[in-house]
Amino acid sequence: MSRDTLYNNVIPALDIEKEINRWNRVLNITNQPKLSINQTPKQEVWKKNKASLWLYPAVEKKYDVPIFLINSLVNRAYCFDFTPGASVIEILVNAGYDVYLLDWGFPGYEDKDINLEDYIDDYIRKGVQRSLRHSGAASISLVGYCLGGVLAAVYTAIAEEPIRNLALVVPPIDWDVNTFIPDKWLEGIKNGTLNLDRFIDGYGIIPKFYQEQMFKALNTPISYTPYINLLNHADDKRFVEKWCTMNNYLTDTVPFTRAAYKQLVNDFIKDNKLVKGEFAVHGKKVDFRNIKENLLVLSSKYDTLVHQDQSSPIMDLVSSEDKTLEEVKAGHLNIALSGKLGVELDKWLCHRS
Amino acid sequence: MTNQKSFDPYDLFNKFSTQWEKQVNDLIMTNTNNPRFTRLLQKSTETSAIYKEMFKKSQDLLGDHLHLPTKDDVTNVAKLALQTEEKLDSLEEQIWKLQDSISSTNKEIESIVGVSSDIIKLTKQLKTELTKTKLELAETKELRSDLKVMKNELADVKGLKEEISILLQIMSEKNIDKKNQAVSELVSTQSK
Repeated sequence: MSRDTLYNNVIPALDIEKEINRWNRVLNITNQPKLSINQTPKQEVWKKNKASLWLYPAVEKKYDVPIFLINSLVNRAYCFDFTPGASVIEILVNAGYDVYLLDWGFPGYEDKDINLEDYIDDYIRKGVQRSLRHSGAASISLVGYCLGGVLAAVYTAIAEEPIRNLALVVPPIDWDVNTFIPDKWLEGIKNGTLNLDRFIDGYGIIPKFYQEQMFKALNTPISYTPYINLLNHADDKRFVEKWCTMNNYLTDTVPFTRAAYKQLVNDFIKDNKLVKGEFAVHGKKVDFRNIKENLLVLSSKYDTLVHQDQSSPIMDLVSSEDKTLEEVKAGHLNIALSGKLGVELDKWLCHRS
Repeated sequence: MTNQKSFDPYDLFNKFSTQWEKQVNDLIMTNTNNPRFTRLLQKSTETSAIYKEMFKKSQDLLGDHLHLPTKDDVTNVAKLALQTEEKLDSLEEQIWKLQDSISSTNKEIESIVGVSSDIIKLTKQLKTELTKTKLELAETKELRSDLKVMKNELADVKGLKEEISILLQIMSEKNIDKKNQAVSELVSTQSK
C-alpha cells in the first residue's frame, strides 16, 4: 500500500473548491446577500411619535374581523413579516385577513417617561380605535407577542372597544414561577437588594447595546457557536443568507424607556401585580376576570426565555368560556420568525372571525 | 474509493465548541447566580450612576454658562413636537366625533322628514275626507228640510183625511136624512 493511499484511507480528502467557497463567504460576510424582509405590501394608517400603525390588506378578503398585531417592546416589528414564505403577516393576508400592525418604532431619549400604562392607553387603545374606524369592522382580533401579549391582555381587561378574539403568544404573565432570570438575581430584585432604577435613570432609555448584553447575560453570556456554525456551513449559500438575516435581526434590538423598564421590573417582576390583580392603567384597575373574549394562549416548547408555566396562569384568571392553551414546537423567536405563528393563528381564528 | 467522505475539519470543531460554550456558560452562571454577585452588581451600577449624575450636572452647568443646548433642551423641543402631534390627533378625533354626530343628526332629520311626509299625507287625506263630510252634511241638512216639508205635508194630509172623514160622516148622515125623507115622502104619497 502506497503512502498516498494510506493517507486517503485514514484522513479523508480535503475538498479544496468547497474550502475556497467557504472562506470566501466568511471573509466577505458583511457583503453577503441577505434575504428580503418586510416585503408584504402595506400602507400607513396612523403615526404617533415613533410608533406607526400599518395595514396589510388581505389578498382576497374572506373574514370580517381584522387582526391587530402587538409586538414586544424589545424587538423590531418586522419579526412578523420576516423572510418570504416564513412571514406571519404574509400567511394571514393570503388566508384572507386584513392585518393591522402596531410598530413601536425606535424610542429616543425624549421618550424616557413613556411607561407601560401610556403604551396601553395612548398607543394600543388609540391604535385599536383607528383600526376599527379604518376597517369599518364591528370588532377586532388582538394578537400580542411576548411582552406585547402582556400589554394586549392588560388592554383587553380594561377595553371599551369591541374585541372579539384575544391571542397571546408566549406572554410572561406570572413572575412568581420559573423565569429566565437566574433565581438569586430574581431574589435580589424581589427583596430590593438588586435595584437598577438609579442606573437606568441615568440613561433615560436602556441603550441598544445594554439591551443586547442583558439578554445575552440572562441566556448565554458567551455565545460564539453561531459563528462556528456559520463557518461549518459557509459553503452553503442559502444557509449563509439565512444566517446573515437572522444575525441582523438578533442585533437589531429596540431601546427600552426607563419608565417602562421600572414598571416592568417593579410592578410585574417584583410585585407580580398582574396575577394579584393589583395593576392599574391610569387609575383603571386591571382585573383579568373582565376578559370574556375567546382566548388562545400559545407557548413554545423550546423557549428558554418564557416558559409555559409563566403563560398558563392566565387561563385560570380570565372569564372566557372559549379558551385554549397550546404548545408549539418552536423556540421563543422561532415561533414568529419561522411563520409557524401565522399557521396557528389562522387555524384558531378562521372559525372565530 | 468513490464513496469516500470528504474531510470536514469544522464539524469536529463545531461539536467541541458547542460543548465548551455550554461549560463556560454554566461556569459563569454558577459564579454569578449568588447574592454576592448581585450585591457587586448593585454596587457597581450605583457607582456608575453616581458618576453619570455628576457628569450630567457638570454638563448642564457648562451648557448654562456657554449657552449651549443640553440633551434635556433638545428633549424639550422634541416633546413640544410630540404635544403638537397629540393635539392634531385629538383634533382629528374631535372632527370624527363631529362627523359622527352630523351623520346621526342627518339620519334623525331623514327619519323626521319621513314622519313629516306621512303626517302631510295623512292631513291631506283628512282634508279630503272633511270636504266629503261637509258635502254629506249639507246633503243631510237638505234631506232633513225636505223631510220636514214632507212631515208638514203629511200632517196636512192627515188633517185633510180627518176633514174628509168628517165630510164623509156628514155626507152619510145627510144621505140617511135624505133617505128617510124620501121614504117618508114615499110613504106619504102611497098613503095619499
